[in-house]
Formats: sequence, C-alpha cells, structure tokens
Amino acid sequence: MGSLLPLIEKEIKDLLRDPRIYIGLLAPILTMPILGLVISTIMQSSIETISREGIKVAVIDLDRTSTSREFMGFIRSLGLNVSEFPPLEIEDAIKELKGSDTRILMVVPNGFESNITSFRKAQVNVFFIVKSTGLTSIGIFSVVENVLNAYSKALVESFISSKSPEVNPEDVLNPLTTVSYTVVKDRVLKVSPGVLFNQFFMSSGIIVPIVLMLVSTSVAQIAATATAVENEEKTLETLLTLPISRYSILMGKLIGSAVVAMLGTIIFIVGLIVYFQSIFSLPIVAEEGLTISLELPTASFESYVMLFISLLIAIFFATSLGVIIGALSSDVRISGSLVGFVQIPIMVPMFMVIYGDVRSLPLALQIFIYALPPSYPMLIAQSMFFTELPFEVLLGIPYSAAFTVFLVYLTSKLLVPEKLLSLQHKLLMRRMKGRTMP
Amino acid sequence: MSVNNGVAVDVRNLVKLFGSSKALDDLSFQVREGEVFGLIGPNGAGKTTALRILATLLLPTRGSVKIFGYDVISQATDVRRIIGYLAEDAGAYRNLSGLEYLSIMARVYFRSKNEALEAVNRAVDISGLGDKIHDKIKTYSKGMKRRLQIARVFMLKPKLAILDEPTAGLDVVHASYIRKLIKDYASKYGITVIMSSHNMFEVEYVCDRVALINKGRIVAEGTPDQLKTFWNASNLEEVFIKVVDIG
Repeated sequence: MGSLLPLIEKEIKDLLRDPRIYIGLLAPILTMPILGLVISTIMQSSIETISREGIKVAVIDLDRTSTSREFMGFIRSLGLNVSEFPPLEIEDAIKELKGSDTRILMVVPNGFESNITSFRKAQVNVFFIVKSTGLTSIGIFSVVENVLNAYSKALVESFISSKSPEVNPEDVLNPLTTVSYTVVKDRVLKVSPGVLFNQFFMSSGIIVPIVLMLVSTSVAQIAATATAVENEEKTLETLLTLPISRYSILMGKLIGSAVVAMLGTIIFIVGLIVYFQSIFSLPIVAEEGLTISLELPTASFESYVMLFISLLIAIFFATSLGVIIGALSSDVRISGSLVGFVQIPIMVPMFMVIYGDVRSLPLALQIFIYALPPSYPMLIAQSMFFTELPFEVLLGIPYSAAFTVFLVYLTSKLLVPEKLLSLQHKLLMRRMKGRTMP
Repeated sequence: MSVNNGVAVDVRNLVKLFGSSKALDDLSFQVREGEVFGLIGPNGAGKTTALRILATLLLPTRGSVKIFGYDVISQATDVRRIIGYLAEDAGAYRNLSGLEYLSIMARVYFRSKNEALEAVNRAVDISGLGDKIHDKIKTYSKGMKRRLQIARVFMLKPKLAILDEPTAGLDVVHASYIRKLIKDYASKYGITVIMSSHNMFEVEYVCDRVALINKGRIVAEGTPDQLKTFWNASNLEEVFIKVVDIG
C-alpha cells in the first residue's frame, strides 16, 4: 500500500494535467451540457421573441361578413397581431409580405359565413411564408395552427350549445374517457404504459448504456494512452527497476485511470441532466412529464448497489484492456490504432441491450453478452425499475468480478519487460512488414 | 545473504537471444565495488541489452549475472533494492513538476517518509535546477531532464548505478555537467557505476576501467591507460577503432 499511493497520485496528477485528456475525454462530455444550454437558450429566446413581438398575421377578407370579422376578432383575442390586407391577388400579397416580418397570410374566401351558418365546411387558406427553419419559425407556425383549431372547436361548441343547451359540448366532443393504469412490481400507476416506457426507455434503456459505453471507451483510451506514453518515455522501464511489485504498478495505473474516468462520468451525467432538462422543458412535454415523474416507480436500494458494483467492475475491465493495449504498444500512435478493438466488447452489448430483450436472442448471442462484464450494468439498469433483478444478472456480478480480477492478474503478468519488449518488438515488426508489403 | 568479495557486478558467459539473433555472445566481465566502469562499443554491440539484464528488465538466455552477490533472476527483488537505473533517453512524467517527480519516486523507493524527504532534498541539490525544480517537466530542456534523471538515480544512494548513455544527445555544457555529477557523486556516496557510452573522451574522463564490447562479446578490457598502452594509441577513440576493426 505504501508504494501504491504515490503511484496513484502520479497517475491522477499526470492525467488531470494532460491537455490531451481534456480534448479526448472532456470534449465529448462537455458537448452535452453545452448543447443543452444552447438549445434551451434558443428556445427561451424564441419564446421571448414570439411573446414580445406577437405573431403578425395578414388577413385578406374576401367574405366581408360579420362572421369573418368575428373570426378576425377571435384570433386577435388569442394574441395574434392581425392586420387586414386589401383584396389583392395572392401572388402580390405574398410578394409584399416577403419584404416584411409577417410570416402568415390568411385568406377568408367568399361564402365563409354562409357555409358556417348552413353547417357546411368553411375554408380558410393559410399561407405560411418560410424564411428560416429555426425554432422561432416552427413555434410561430404551431401557435397559428393551435389558434385555428381553437376557433374550430369554439364553433362546434357554439353549434352544440345552440341546438341542445342542456348538453355539455365537451361530453359530445369526447364521449369516451379512457383512464389508463400500469402495474409495475406491486404498484399501480395512473399512467399509460406508452408514456411510462418512453420515459424509462430514454433514461435506463438508452442513457445508461450510452453513458457506460462512452465512459468505458474513454477509460480504456486513457489507460492505453497513459501506458503507451510510459513505454515511449521509458518511464515504465524505470518503474520496473524499482523494488515494487508489478501488481502495484498496474493497480496504480488502473485506479488512477478509473478515478479520472469517474470524474469524467460525473461531469458527463451532470451534462446529460442539463441536456435532457432543457429538451423536456418544452411546455407541452413538461406538462405531461411532470405529473408522471411524481409517480415514477422506484428501484430498490440493493439494485442501486448492484448497479454501482457492476459499473465499477465494467470500468476496471475496460481499464485493464486499455493497459494491455498500451503495454503492447511501443508508442502512443500504435496504441491509438489498437484501442478501437476495446470498443467491440462494449459496443456489442450496448446495442443488444438498447434494441432487444437479451432473453429472446439466440443462445450463442446470449452467452456472448453474459460473458462480457460491461453487459451487466446495462442489464441491471434495464430491469431494476420494473422487475426483480433476473437470476442470471445476479450471478453475473461475482462472475464478472472474478473475470476482471483474472484479467488484472493476466495484465500484471504481462508487465514483465522480457515479455513486453519481445511482444512490442513482434508487433512493430509486423506493422513494418505490413507497410513494406507491395 | 550474499557474498561478493568486493565484486559489485559479476557477469559470466552471458548469452541473450532475441529469436534467432544473438545480442550477447558469451559475455563475461567483473566490476569491482566503488569503481566507475564503462561499457563501450558500436551501435548494436549489445551494451543496452547487457545493462537491461543487470537492471532485471531482461532475462538472460544463458549464463549468470550477480549484483553484489544477488542473482538477477532468482533474487531480482533484492537486486532492485540496491540499484538505480537510467535508461537511454529516459523521460519523466511531463505534467508533473521536477520536485513532484522526485518526491513520488522517492516515496515509491523508501518506506520511511523521512528517508524519502532526505532523498528529495539530496536530489534537488544534485540536479542543480534551482527554482526550476518547481516547473513542469514538459518545460525542461533535454539537458535539464537528464540532470533530473541523474539526480533521481543518485538520491537513492544505490550500491550500483546503471547508466545507459547518460550524455547521449546533450550539448557540450550539459554533457560536461552530467559527467562531473557522475564522477563527484559516485565518489561522494561510494556508489559503483556501470555506464555505456559512445563518447570515448567521456569514458576516459569518468571511468576507472573500461570494457570494449563488439557483437555481444568483450574484445578488450582494462583501465584507459592500460588499453592505450596495449593498443599503442594516443586516446581511447584510436583504441576503439583498432579493436572494432579487428573484432
């Protein structure tokens, strides 16, 4: 332990002060909160622009009746900034509007009132003039559509009330009310399964596997680069001549890289939360999401512990693979080209877990997934909210711990310079041979 | 316990094969306690391989190597407790300061905090880097890095310092500084030194005895004066050329 602490300190300091780590690890991590911040700022400013300036609508009223004037009054009362245009040709009106900041042209045709009063379909022609595909434009168009729908609904309600004053128009419009319940574990939730699955599929079904994949590949990359730099700078050679065990040298590197990866993970998760909060803060989504989140099913404390343990094991597994790659590489370039292989045992279970139920896969694929330690945190996250953790997942924790310890042991055996130098030599020769081949 | 009878390094019939190529071919020599011993030879002669075996980094294919009586294969951990090794072109952790690097290496080597602290103070003094010792290593010149590495080796006060090309690639000023460091501190702390070099003037200045190695074998051995007399040469460079031509 005495010699391990300075080695861990060395690893953490050297990694955290390395700008390449920030580029390689923090850049993708910071992308999420920055993206979230940008999106929420754009949305906020779009909403502010719309509410400050109002939505300008030009109306050509060809009907010129009291109903068409009522229509204009209605949409004005809902916040649209209505200006009446003289009865121009449509092409001329559009041409004129292109030079202004009005993006909506409504044409109320002749017969508007007579159609409405005789219970026939009336028509309003709406021209959306697209000047950009930004969020402000999308917001404006959807607000105008909502206002028109509101007018249509108001008309129906008025017809129903005039024909049958004793009837509640709402009951006629929605004669059947469905109340959905979803049963999860021993709880009955007043929410439809579709909404619930969307929420959970996003959080535990996609986010956890993606976070884990990113963290594992980053940590493998960090460990591979750090070890390859040790080879390149011959600092590993120096360490190996000190009176300390190879195991201490390896553990220093594994723990150091894992600590840096954990820090990265925390920043990444914070970034993800910022990102998703900004995405889901849209009024329509938030309204629905808020009522659900109060009723979300919870996972047991034990399953959180299992998730944490399996996550640690997966990170150590990926770090060990990274150290192996780095140790076999005589320089950073070689390790950079080899580290892609580490992604295979991480990406494969990630996609399997995201896109399917593991138990429904062919046996060979199931064995492959259960054989890989990075699969377990993904499988736990997928099921911890809905069912008890499956038996094979519970068994998988001690299995993947043993597998990872074995891999760490193998890696420590590899840190024998005799083997390392000859393996590096062989790899280098193979690459050089590959380059000189016609 | 080891019995060494005043012999610091005892290399006997050492053979090292890399696949089918023979890096060392029946190499034998001895270094006495307190000596500064030079291993010189052309590129690919086997100097680095021999030093790596002494430093317990490589295993011999055949033959035996004992450091102060300890066998480098069966007693590698004991050997590591008494050696300090400087690899050719050895770097350090770029993002640490010189002081942090020395402190970490001292704490890895010594169990006692006080011993580690004393060693670091010693190293700061040996390196002669002054306030630059607080700067990040990535800002150091090649010469400053080498001074740091020499300080790292000597702060441990090892019984045997193994230095592979300690002045390779350095300018005249830094090379001269390093040579002086080796000579002074080896004598001050009573450290036995085995070093390889291409620079014959350096070897003549620093080393008490020299072995010329070619194609993995010792082809001449003695003090610089003995070698010059025997080969009727005015300096070691002439000796080297004559010996290598014959070898």
